[in-house]
Amino acid sequence: MTKKFNKTVLLFLAFTVGAVVLNFVMSGFSFAPADLFINKPGRFSGLISPYYYSVLILLGINIILSVSLALLNGMTGLFTMGHAGFMAIGAYTSASVVSFLLPEAHFIVQLIVGSLSAGAAAAIVGFFIGTSCLRLNGDYLGMVTLGFGEIIRIVLLNIDAVGGARGMTDIPVYMNLGSVLLLTILTILVIKRISFGRLGRAMLAIKENEMAANMMGINPLAIKVKAFVISSFLAGIAGSFFAHSEGYLSTQTFTFTKSFEIIAMNVVGGLGSLSGSILGAGILTILPEALRKLQDLTGIDIRMIIYALTMVLIMILRPQGLMGNREWKWLSSK
Amino acid sequence: MAFLEVTNMSLEFGGVKACQNVNLSLEPGILYGLIGPNGAGKSTIFNVLTGIYAPTHGDVKLDGQSLVGKKPFEIAQQGIGRTFQNIRLFKELTVLENVMTAFYSSSKTNLNDMVFETKFFHQEEDEVRAKSMELLKVMGIADLHDVPAGGLPYGKQRKLEIARALGLNPRLLLLDEPAAGLNPSETRELTNLIRDIQKARNITVLLIEHDMGLVMNICEKIYVLVQGQLVCEGKPEIVQNDKRVIEAYLGVD
Repeated sequence: MTKKFNKTVLLFLAFTVGAVVLNFVMSGFSFAPADLFINKPGRFSGLISPYYYSVLILLGINIILSVSLALLNGMTGLFTMGHAGFMAIGAYTSASVVSFLLPEAHFIVQLIVGSLSAGAAAAIVGFFIGTSCLRLNGDYLGMVTLGFGEIIRIVLLNIDAVGGARGMTDIPVYMNLGSVLLLTILTILVIKRISFGRLGRAMLAIKENEMAANMMGINPLAIKVKAFVISSFLAGIAGSFFAHSEGYLSTQTFTFTKSFEIIAMNVVGGLGSLSGSILGAGILTILPEALRKLQDLTGIDIRMIIYALTMVLIMILRPQGLMGNREWKWLSSK
Repeated sequence: MAFLEVTNMSLEFGGVKACQNVNLSLEPGILYGLIGPNGAGKSTIFNVLTGIYAPTHGDVKLDGQSLVGKKPFEIAQQGIGRTFQNIRLFKELTVLENVMTAFYSSSKTNLNDMVFETKFFHQEEDEVRAKSMELLKVMGIADLHDVPAGGLPYGKQRKLEIARALGLNPRLLLLDEPAAGLNPSETRELTNLIRDIQKARNITVLLIEHDMGLVMNICEKIYVLVQGQLVCEGKPEIVQNDKRVIEAYLGVD
């Protein structure tokens, strides 16, 4: 069989069609272009309530964040605690670019330019953080990146043009479930493919034994910087989605608790497993929301207690994370 | 002609002189031995050759070009492969993947190829996989290719480390106590294997070993290092009868 089309391009088209169909269904079978592409949760009239809609969008964003952190934390063995910082850069860059430069542009232009500029900005910062602190190992790297994450947040807090402490408002909202789903799946695919190529093997080799990797002709610094750049690029895109799904940004969202939340997703799912990071993001996003029902029923504020208990129990019963080192089948085909 | 020359190399850590005025010249296609009592500085020489330590004095030259100041991975890319005294495998990677990592610097797929799974990506992956399997077959561990490397028995881990170093397609292979911890029959098997590989690929091997049977059996030339200084070099029979070597190992009356 002659391969006329690249498999990836076909996949991309398939997912795009899937995204449009999803938007079509979600908007209550409407053919209006606005419903197919820029269906905002606010004026939603379809099958599920705006609340579930925004939870699903948040789930997609969290999966992107968790998977991008898995590339650094699980695969390359770089323990970083500043992922919320990259997300913040992405969110604010995208919000500023779209609302200051392209307020009237078509939403597809906004979406593409916004996400790419967010990713690029985060990747540039990731590159500098990566090159400047990759001599550090283990916990020390964690501390420095934690500091960088906070610096980014404080700097954003003091820029008046993006709202400062009041937060940034009136950001164009164009993010819909279809686009988030499309880009979440693409992110997973990209990371999966990187992990099975020579780059992924080099990353794992560095995590396992940096000295031996060095002796195999692998430049550990170059690989680590690559991991940092790819990871922060994806985190920046996740930030962009976040900005344009909520329409409001506050620096309070990007404190180090957000970074820890992403690390927790990785750890609960299993460090070193891509499937685990997806599963972890799923559990830690859905669980607190699902527990709201319980809270409504009992009238007691036990949501966060159960949430925390669940995490403690998972760590006691499965210290290696839910997936351990294994992968789901659809993610492990080489 | 010697392709690797170590001239007057000294390495000091503060007041400790780990190596003093070491001179080595290695010629292509010969199996060298490096012996000496514990703490003589044998592994230190390996670490200097592979760029982990920079010598305090003297020079290391490969094809007339100095290796001093080069990063370990650059030296590895120039064709110096090594194994470690305490095995350093990528334990969670499979046996096959361990060998495949050695092809990192010689393969050319970029990020674009990986993300879009281009034809070239598959071609190169298949090629690397085939070459790695070939090396595993040579070492006799091909049937274990999808086992995590950490799960291999000790002797097979040693073999895997050699296979991985061969993946670099090295001109010089440094083996740091390849037979340590092996039983006599495993040692015999490994001895033959090392000699066969060396002959078949016509590479230079420098091996550190305490098993004198192995060393005297296969090495064509032996260097003896005592307290950081080379005291003797030559053919096995010369080294065996050298007074200074006997003194170093057995003491003086």
